[in-house]
Amino acid sequence: MTDDKDVLRDVWFGRIPTCFTLYQDEITEREAEPYYLLLPRVSYLTLVTDKVKKHFQKVMRQEDISEIWFEYEGTPLKWHYPIGLLFDLLASSSALPWNITVHFKSFPEKDLLHCPSKDVIEAHFMSCVKEADALKHKSQVINEMQKKDHKQLWMGLQNDRFDQFWAINRKLMEYPAEENGFRYIPFRIYQTTTERPFIQKLFRPVATDGQLHTLGDLLKEVCPSAVAPEDGEKKNQVMIHGIEPMLETPLQWLSEHLSYPDNFLHISIIPQPTD
Amino acid sequence: MEEDEFFGEETFQHYCAEFIKHSQKIGDGWEWRTSKEALEPPLDDFEVTETTTATEVIKYEYHVLYSCSYQVPVLYFRASFLDGSPLALKDIWEGVHECYKTRLLHGPWDTITQQEHPILGQPFFVLHPCKTNEFMTPVLKNSQKFNRNVNYITSWLSMVGPAVGLNLPLSYARAAFQDEGNVDRQDSFIEPKSLEEL
Repeated sequence: MTDDKDVLRDVWFGRIPTCFTLYQDEITEREAEPYYLLLPRVSYLTLVTDKVKKHFQKVMRQEDISEIWFEYEGTPLKWHYPIGLLFDLLASSSALPWNITVHFKSFPEKDLLHCPSKDVIEAHFMSCVKEADALKHKSQVINEMQKKDHKQLWMGLQNDRFDQFWAINRKLMEYPAEENGFRYIPFRIYQTTTERPFIQKLFRPVATDGQLHTLGDLLKEVCPSAVAPEDGEKKNQVMIHGIEPMLETPLQWLSEHLSYPDNFLHISIIPQPTD
Repeated sequence: MEEDEFFGEETFQHYCAEFIKHSQKIGDGWEWRTSKEALEPPLDDFEVTETTTATEVIKYEYHVLYSCSYQVPVLYFRASFLDGSPLALKDIWEGVHECYKTRLLHGPWDTITQQEHPILGQPFFVLHPCKTNEFMTPVLKNSQKFNRNVNYITSWLSMVGPAVGLNLPLSYARAAFQDEGNVDRQDSFIEPKSLEEL
């Protein structure tokens, strides 16, 4: 049996082979070759694509370059969503590598947040961590930490340092001995078929009778259309980090082991592939 | 519903309903919107919007949403020029009055950032909600002490709104007293004399 700690490493070190191609209407001085990169599932696009930016800017004039943004099959990619979530939600049923198109003009103001610097990514990341702790611990754990601990979470993510990150993050995964889990589970459920970007609600990991709630319990409660009726055919895949956990898995366990570094469970509901 | 909730979602809905009642009376444009999904039962996240076309060239749109994570209301807003092009964060900052700038620039949690609107999925500017409880608790404590009826939404919006260009007419404050039937206020008390004149 795999040790629970191994799960944490497998999640952290997950990678997606990606091919970046410059949008054909961008103005270049010479032909731009595609750029290949293994993207960390747990990070953010604008945090890990400096090399991509440099590669394409080499063949462009300064005046033709403004804020970089990415697109997959016509859909602008939200850099503030973790990479693994974007892939699972939009591209997991297609063949690898993930083909992303790079743009340097016509920033889609109505769809994407601006990302003028790394500070913006850090602020967004820490904002999510804080919100997760508000749900788990009424913000007690995150507020008790020093600024340097907050910084260590961010630096651990930025520099791909598993041990540095988890030295602090483990405190966010603890709960009082007398409880059986967190106060509420930080989660977001995403579906491309709905207008709403995601579903997020208050949901307790433990029932009043002390039983642990499962992934299936969560879906039944907040997203019943996603789960097939017992005798019916399976319509959707419920995916986290590229895998489909069993619906009987306790939600508390999922929250402790399969959360992203922002401490949220980002769950994709995608149509069952037909092949 | 949770008994230990400071400001639960139902309470939020109640205060918003009272707020909207007054808004409809004075016609300043707030609306109550529900997000409904075709395949799901009606969702219980709500928004209230005001669309104001200023006499100058900037149009502001304000939404009040409920954050279940922090159990407080959150103010989302966006601004655009009349041609539809959006204002950038630095343009927004230029519109913030000096007296608010220092407070807002203080901590990363007390500032204006660009976020995704949780229902519309579009970029909006947001005042971070995590300090809301801190400044709202004294307001509510005092209202209990002096036995005054306070609409949480009205009080909260009157505090956070001005920093981002949203100023509530004073009549909202009087409306909160009216709900209680406070006979000190002239507007809520019809004197027999005026009926005779009719």
